[in-house]
Amino acid sequence: MRLALNILLLGVAVGLWGCQQEDKRISMAEDVKSDNALVNIVTKPVIHAFSWVTGEGVEIDRAVTYVNKDGFLQLEIAGHNRAFNPIVFEYKVEWLDKDGIVVDTATSKWLQTSAAAKAPFAIKAVAPRTTAVDFRMNTRKIPN
Amino acid sequence: MIKKLLAFAVLASSVTFVGCSPQTENVDTINDQGKAVMQLDYRDFDRAASQMVQSMIESGTFKKEGGGRYVVAKGRIVNDTMQHIDTDQLMAKVEQELTRSGLVAMTAAVGAGNAPKDSLVYSSRDLTRDSDKADEFNKDTVQAKGQLIAPELSISGKIIQRNIRYDNGKQQVEYYFQLQMNNLTNGLVFWQNEIVLGKRGDSKKVPW
Repeated sequence: MRLALNILLLGVAVGLWGCQQEDKRISMAEDVKSDNALVNIVTKPVIHAFSWVTGEGVEIDRAVTYVNKDGFLQLEIAGHNRAFNPIVFEYKVEWLDKDGIVVDTATSKWLQTSAAAKAPFAIKAVAPRTTAVDFRMNTRKIPN
Repeated sequence: MIKKLLAFAVLASSVTFVGCSPQTENVDTINDQGKAVMQLDYRDFDRAASQMVQSMIESGTFKKEGGGRYVVAKGRIVNDTMQHIDTDQLMAKVEQELTRSGLVAMTAAVGAGNAPKDSLVYSSRDLTRDSDKADEFNKDTVQAKGQLIAPELSISGKIIQRNIRYDNGKQQVEYYFQLQMNNLTNGLVFWQNEIVLGKRGDSKKVPW
């Protein structure tokens, strides 16, 4: 009875240790941080397989635009990669004027970026014309 | 009969060869899905120029106090790669976007090595003022002396290539695009940036 209680307490302690709050500003890679009760050498392959089957990828959390002190519209996009592998992709930002017309600029090109596994990422862009008031963005896989 | 068969065979084989040869097609330069190449192609210049221009605008250093635009002269852009690159492939885009942003005006009167970007700035003056044809020009339309605007900034840079061989039959080619904007009044570097593009592939592929 006493042994069972000790095992239970140990289990709870390990579980609580695994659930301890991590600083969200710091993203520790899976092979760098310590294993815990939920993520360990036994469960990792299952979790990875589940992630792959469900097709986890990159998600955008928020997009913020503001006009900088020189009058140019700046864009900051924050997102995170839900997958267990780095995802390299291309994005293209197009700038729109007050009538919703695309502003013709040579900076609107497919640019490459990368999101580390299970980590946040950011994309920054600045419109090269003061006439830009809004944006739209496309993404695509890197051509094979 | 044999002659006819032979002629037919030749015709059939030639049709087959024509059918197998790659067709020429226009490149979709807006949404190009083409594979990466070890050399620098237009997509690399597009990417480098886009990032350079955005870095310049974001830096906030090109807003002239009191209004107006900075006058910029194009300095020397060194091609330190194994490829025959016209550095204007990069600079034309950068200059175009900077000019259209309204922050700077490029001068065609002064350039690297005392060579003006447009020789007509001076030759038109020689022709309309000092040549035997000068009388043919309306004096009111001839450029007066002291009209050219001296540059305040100069843009210069370098494109560097480094080749690295790996043990597993692969190679890595690194391209460094370096640009800097210098204040001609005091010689200080106004802005500077480096964009690195890396390519990794078969070591048998020739990167030049």
